[in-house]
Amino acid sequence: MSELKPTNHKAELLLDAVAEGHVAEVLAMETVAGCATTFDPGWEVDPFGGVASLCQPMEADLYGCSDPCWWPAQVPDTMGTYPGWDAGKPSAPGDWRDLDSVFPKK
Amino acid sequence: MSSVRSVWAWVGAALGLSVLLACAAHAGDLLVTAAKPDQLFVIDAAKRSVRTEHHIAGTEGQIFTTLISPDQRTAYLLVDKMERIVGVDLASGREVFRADLSTPVERVKDFFAMALTPDGRELLVYELPTELKPSEYVVKEPRFAVYRTDAGVAAKPVRSFAAPRRIHMVLMRPNGRSFYALGFDLYEYDLKSGKLLETRGIQKWAMADHSQPDLLAFWPVTEPTGVFTSPVYSDLKQGDKTVPMTALMSLDLKSGALSYADFEPLSALIFSTVLSPDKSHAYGVYSTLSSIDVANHRLDKRVSLDHTFYAVNVSSDGREVYTGGTNCDVGFYDAASLEKKAILKLPGCSDQTLSTLRVIHDR
Repeated sequence: MSELKPTNHKAELLLDAVAEGHVAEVLAMETVAGCATTFDPGWEVDPFGGVASLCQPMEADLYGCSDPCWWPAQVPDTMGTYPGWDAGKPSAPGDWRDLDSVFPKK
Repeated sequence: MSSVRSVWAWVGAALGLSVLLACAAHAGDLLVTAAKPDQLFVIDAAKRSVRTEHHIAGTEGQIFTTLISPDQRTAYLLVDKMERIVGVDLASGREVFRADLSTPVERVKDFFAMALTPDGRELLVYELPTELKPSEYVVKEPRFAVYRTDAGVAAKPVRSFAAPRRIHMVLMRPNGRSFYALGFDLYEYDLKSGKLLETRGIQKWAMADHSQPDLLAFWPVTEPTGVFTSPVYSDLKQGDKTVPMTALMSLDLKSGALSYADFEPLSALIFSTVLSPDKSHAYGVYSTLSSIDVANHRLDKRVSLDHTFYAVNVSSDGREVYTGGTNCDVGFYDAASLEKKAILKLPGCSDQTLSTLRVIHDR
């Protein structure tokens, strides 16, 4: 934990839990329901600390993450925030050029 | 390779009938899968071809979990951003059931978890409700809701009861009286009363010298054995070191037997597994296809796949392994050698993503 710095209030609470001996109550991810912030490796790094065990190619995993709102910070969430992001683009390997970047609404 | 398979392979080769034998081996198996945005496919496994394609109304981009009725006539599909379940006649594509989980004042998601009773008369759904107030959203307690499948296209729950959070799969027991719910732990509930009957460990699995485990279980495949299996990951303490291990979780829905057994130090990810008809092997997919020797708790074979697959199933005779999910192709592999036998590209080549790959039987 010493190598991690909290960037928001929720993360600070995690440090508090460590300091107060409650870290055992912070449970590892085991299929947390969609749209939850997770630290599960997947898009940037695999469980081995590399990239070789990420989905191959990444397009095989793209809609598998956007449809259930798996990593809403990394992949547009088509379940809630960007429901039309994939409209008319049913194949990630074939349609990736047409998938736009998204930006938070102001 | 099992001795039975070896004998049949030798006999077939000796008689020059290997092609006929291979075709006959899985005659009658049909695969059911779905693809974006609204496609439902029935595939003839022996012919490697799509028998039927239906377009399902109101999917809103993706079909998630697929259940098959006991009479294998109806597919129940989780659609509309996980807020609707439709029942579709597999022969005609006609919608025969619909349950809209949400209302104007309450948004309800079902995160993959639903199950049918053995008689097909009731559908159990795990519901995550959020009350939509004018100025705030109120997260409400999750619940199990039960629908009658003969309720038509405006089905409402006939009863509901409290459920734990973080459930991602429900599996009905063949006695029809209770069901399992998988989440942080494995729960068993009475289907009528909603009473919690038993809690057994997943996170509290009590494997000696092992860390808290992790599993990913979105694909409620229990055919052909009635046993659900899943890879489980944990760290094994060995002296001062920890070794990441992969175990196979096995849950027999009839007997209730639950077991975990390490079969290799973690060397490749596996998303989902299926148990062979003779229960001797489990097959797991991700970017590789793995064959696991169940009795001896060891990895038997592993081959690379053309790309990552999420879903796996096995032929009724155990001779072929099917891969699905993610992109638009379904793979057919020899169960003994894991040799690729065929790849079927689905019409339109739309992504299957998280859809369930089911095996049913031609009638």
